[in-house]
Amino acid sequence: MATSATGMVYIRVIEDVISKVRDEFVNNGPGESVLNELQGIWEMKMIQAGVIIDRTSAPKQPAPGGPITPVHDLNVPYEGTEEYETPTAEILFPPTPLQTPIQTPLPGSTPLPGSTPLPGSTPLPGTADNSTYNIPTGSSDYPTPASDSGGNTEAKSGNGRPSSYMPPPPSPWMNPRPPLSVDVNVAYVEGRDEADRGTSHQPLTQDFFTMSAGKRKREDFPAQYHNGGYNIPQQDGAGDAMSEIFELEVSEFPGRQDSVTTANREIFANLASSSVKIPQLDGPIPDPYDDVLSTPNIYNYQGVVNEDYNIVNTPAPNDIQASTPAVVTQNDAAEDDDDEPLNENDDDELDDVDQGEELNTQHLVLAQFDKVTRTKSRWKCALKDGIMHINNKDILFNKATGEFDF
Amino acid sequence: MATFELYRRSTIGMCLTETLDEMVQNGTLTPELAIQVLVQFDKSMTEALETQVKSKVSIKGHLHTYRFCDNVWTFILQDALFKSEELQETVGRVKIVACDSKLLSQ
Repeated sequence: MATSATGMVYIRVIEDVISKVRDEFVNNGPGESVLNELQGIWEMKMIQAGVIIDRTSAPKQPAPGGPITPVHDLNVPYEGTEEYETPTAEILFPPTPLQTPIQTPLPGSTPLPGSTPLPGSTPLPGTADNSTYNIPTGSSDYPTPASDSGGNTEAKSGNGRPSSYMPPPPSPWMNPRPPLSVDVNVAYVEGRDEADRGTSHQPLTQDFFTMSAGKRKREDFPAQYHNGGYNIPQQDGAGDAMSEIFELEVSEFPGRQDSVTTANREIFANLASSSVKIPQLDGPIPDPYDDVLSTPNIYNYQGVVNEDYNIVNTPAPNDIQASTPAVVTQNDAAEDDDDEPLNENDDDELDDVDQGEELNTQHLVLAQFDKVTRTKSRWKCALKDGIMHINNKDILFNKATGEFDF
Repeated sequence: MATFELYRRSTIGMCLTETLDEMVQNGTLTPELAIQVLVQFDKSMTEALETQVKSKVSIKGHLHTYRFCDNVWTFILQDALFKSEELQETVGRVKIVACDSKLLSQ
């Protein structure tokens, strides 16, 4: 139920806000169409909240065009979702229908599953899972089981209403997907080729592990970061590792060919078993990515002397120096941790009270106070310019007087 | 002109905030522009309450909790009775959050 007075004020506020930010939208911003979209969504939410009466009609939902176009849309959007994966979040949002006519057909197709909310939500995570499944399939060369699993998940995800067009997709999906994940496949193939060709590379790793026990400690540090599997070769100081490795190579090959070769064979066995780890440790794969993505790191650790870029060099010593004080900071953090539980507990008690109260009280008064006084247990307060949300009604007041007994 | 962000917690403010959140996440809006809109909402809402609203309300009830922190009063009332010319509402539990009106005039 909307009190008309409140609704009128709300509508005027909306119009006032929209008109006063229009210049910003038109001149420096995304344009008036976005502003209109903002107003539309805002008013739609207000209508749904029941605080204003809709001036126009119910929110538009493009249902009619849906069933006709699915064939065209299926091919396009799945590529899009695999490339970005995040658009699923966009897809779930209702406002996308407003954008769809304006923008690319990618989101335009997605409202089709999205138009029916429940199935729209289920297949999208399913596609995400499928994409993740595909990557390991390409890397580990187990096409049949992985594809079966992918097909199963697709079938599961197809349990929703879109089953009509879910059965056809699996085959077309599986074909286009490998090309999409081609980067991963190629990268791992390259790693294998190098592993196969250069037996010289493998003593590198083997000697690297056996000889330099101290290096492992260095490896452990980046290993703590854990997320950046590719970062490990970078932070090892790839230059250091490589140089020592070459020295070891030269010195050991004449002396211990047998042991090395046997070690190589063992490594080959390990390679065959777990081919995934090797490309990361050798670092041949990260190199192209590093050149593109994280050149600063490489230059920091490898070429600090050579590189004269001020911007690049300055962070490097900071990073290096930060290692030792990091211990101190950790100690501080530990001390903080010691202190925090007390504070946290205190806060939690208060927060629990607040949260509990807020959960229980969906009734809320937002206002300004002119005066608050107390005489013994009797409180009086003078409020003004308030918005009350009470019993699912929004009520505005210019002035309010409160008399409370504590 | 100083403004309160207080009214963003109201229904109209929450609707606007949700809308802006979605549009920022879509990439339709920049966060900076969204904040500008919110600030404008603070101004417009405050102005509308001052100029367009004339009603008066009386509130009575049992004060369960009171708190004054950072110039904000928070009252939690039990069995509160709201009266105005048009309506009368009773609420088992209500929270009142009030900022200092003198801060706006500064």
